[in-house]
Amino acid sequence: MIAAVHAHTTTRQTAVRCVIFILLLIAGMLCSCDSRDKGQVITLRFWNPFSGPDGRTMLRIVKQFQAENPDIRVTVQRMHFGTYYNKLFVAGIGGRAPDVFISHRWALPRFVSAGFARPADDLLGKSADQLDPNDFDANILGAGKLGEHQWGIPLDVHPQGMLYNRTMFREIGFVDAKGEARPPTTREEFLDVLRRVKKHYAGAKPERFGFVFTWLRTNSWSFIRQFDGQLIDGAQATLDDPRNVAAMEFCTEMIRQGLAPSPEDFDAWIGFRQGRVAIAFEGIYMLGDLQRQKDLDWGAAPLPMIGDKPGAWADSHNLVMRKDLDGPQLAAAKRFIRFLSDHSLDWAEGGQVPVRKSLRETERFAGMYAQSEFAKQIPYVAYLPPTPFALEYLTEFDLAVERSLRLMMPPKDALSTADKNVQAVMDRYRERGWWKPDPTPSPRTREEGLVERERESALPRGHAHFAPLPNPLPAYGERERDGGAR
Amino acid sequence: MRGSWRDWLGYGFVAPYLLLFSTFLLLPLGYGLWLSFTNYELVSPEAVAHKPPEFAGLANYREAMRDPYFWQGLGATAKFVVMASPLTVLIALVLALGISTVDDRRQHAYRLAFFVPTMITISVAGLVWRWLYSTEFGLFNSILANWSIKVPWLTDADWAMRSIVLMTLWWTIGGPVVILLAGIRQIPDVYYEAAAIDGATGWRSLISITLPMLKPVLLFVIVINIIGAFQVFGQTYIITSGGPARATHVLVQYIYTTAFQNYRLGYGAAMSWLLFVVIATFSIIQFRLMREK
Repeated sequence: MIAAVHAHTTTRQTAVRCVIFILLLIAGMLCSCDSRDKGQVITLRFWNPFSGPDGRTMLRIVKQFQAENPDIRVTVQRMHFGTYYNKLFVAGIGGRAPDVFISHRWALPRFVSAGFARPADDLLGKSADQLDPNDFDANILGAGKLGEHQWGIPLDVHPQGMLYNRTMFREIGFVDAKGEARPPTTREEFLDVLRRVKKHYAGAKPERFGFVFTWLRTNSWSFIRQFDGQLIDGAQATLDDPRNVAAMEFCTEMIRQGLAPSPEDFDAWIGFRQGRVAIAFEGIYMLGDLQRQKDLDWGAAPLPMIGDKPGAWADSHNLVMRKDLDGPQLAAAKRFIRFLSDHSLDWAEGGQVPVRKSLRETERFAGMYAQSEFAKQIPYVAYLPPTPFALEYLTEFDLAVERSLRLMMPPKDALSTADKNVQAVMDRYRERGWWKPDPTPSPRTREEGLVERERESALPRGHAHFAPLPNPLPAYGERERDGGAR
Repeated sequence: MRGSWRDWLGYGFVAPYLLLFSTFLLLPLGYGLWLSFTNYELVSPEAVAHKPPEFAGLANYREAMRDPYFWQGLGATAKFVVMASPLTVLIALVLALGISTVDDRRQHAYRLAFFVPTMITISVAGLVWRWLYSTEFGLFNSILANWSIKVPWLTDADWAMRSIVLMTLWWTIGGPVVILLAGIRQIPDVYYEAAAIDGATGWRSLISITLPMLKPVLLFVIVINIIGAFQVFGQTYIITSGGPARATHVLVQYIYTTAFQNYRLGYGAAMSWLLFVVIATFSIIQFRLMREK
């Protein structure tokens, strides 16, 4: 009996202790949520999508800023890129947007049109506490401008460039007078490398490739811009523009002729790192991978000119301020942005190109081999069209590109389908009043493009507006008649 | 008095779960249903200004019926369910039967071996398998190259779904194996002993004793597996991103893209409810079958 009472008391005590423990735990968690510094120090919340090694680089710069600016405390939130923009947007809607945040240029219009960003015009100017706009490349700075305002201060530009395997180049004999690998600069040279690789390594195990498509979206966009194509023109979708079709036909022909394997998206990058690929077009941010790899003799150069003009995909990380920043907080945010911009050479170490000309003219930058090579493309880097519905049109563009490169559909049909779907998205945005298209479309309108396409389709060959080349790829239709397969 | 105190203590212990269940499941479910009848889009000025979304009636549901991507997503999901669920249950059953014949110590080892992949997060498992599957640069094809075989694991529309199913089998088979094994071990030995005395073979015992006795557990595994298969997302999202050319772009991924990339929450919610109806229909049919003797 006594034992039963004792057992019951023990059970009860244990239960009460459990409940008290849980309550204390919850109370502790609630208390820890409100531990903001309430002193004189200004706290700036800074969000960025740098979850990889670049995040550590950014943290170092922020720490340096705090050491030099003890009156400001920066709380950094590093988030995975995949969820970053969702969290940022939802924070904006909830009125809890960070004071300063990073936005890629493609994502910027969404935040601007939602009213989450503060114009950064007053950060630019000639006074000591401003950034000199002339020190920026006009096209890069201009990319952060939408309508009449500058919305973001570009921290960097990360263009796509050519990364090539020097060992393979030497083996196929594509070398200069000193016997060193030399990067191809023209369409003829590019195709020459690809054909040499195909011939030299025929039957080799494991297989070798002259070129691989890595990120299909950006690879294709670089080709399209070199062919003078465009995806959106004013209020019109122009995905089926004949210039886009010609660019994609060139790409599919490389696959049909076995000069490049069927696309595997980013996984093809592994092939380059394995030393089995001669050329890949990739972003400067891949530099970290290559710097860590000591058994690959690689080189970096601007993309060869494959179309009738140079072009290379690029994007920028823009420093953006929250809409309702004011007073000391605003001043602190401006000081922080200026500091990051002034220290963008430190940032560049990890695989970025600084956009301040004065920084690029330093010896330190000249010592950054790949960054310097890729920086040569700055005058003609090509950003994707800025719209609030970027992800929606890019989804369609990606699908069209994939269907083309996997030889599932002729590029013309794949792009036409995407064009209709993108136009529907644009119309929906316009009808609901969420988007005002750029009132100044590029000189050549969609209608003119379509007329040109009709004219071209009447000709026996697809790309009539390109000068004949000594070693051109046959047009799409011709390959089909020959049987098509690799 | 004591009973009453114990009753309340019981409620106390259940309360945290009930609170979480209501907050994170019941409330969002109801909110999602309401959203599905609105044109709520996060990018709209109304949403940004915190104005309530406009009621849109059945417009989202009608749009889904006309949306080729919805049907394509549902088709890809159905394909996955048809391929993955029977294979999972069948292989898990064979493995469980096999493991049940060995001694206890080895059973523990096998159970652990099959269950370990289930404990790996999908992001890690997915990335590893994505590399293994790479057509030109992956391990599988490097090995197969010795026999001049090149399988387009992820680059061919037909092969991609098979590859996802294969990876899913590896990743998820442990759960059903453990449950079925527990079911098999619960069958009293006396039935087998009686059968042996009557001269039944191993096959006859399997057909006449094991499978009938295992039926409730087996049906539980089938139902749970089919519900899980309809919700497939992680594997396709990480390994193929829905490709090639949307061949593995399952419905949950389309819902995710619509709601959380394009911010069309109303339309995303409507598609979620349509998927719920499909899953519920299948589940009800299976439960009906379960109740039948």
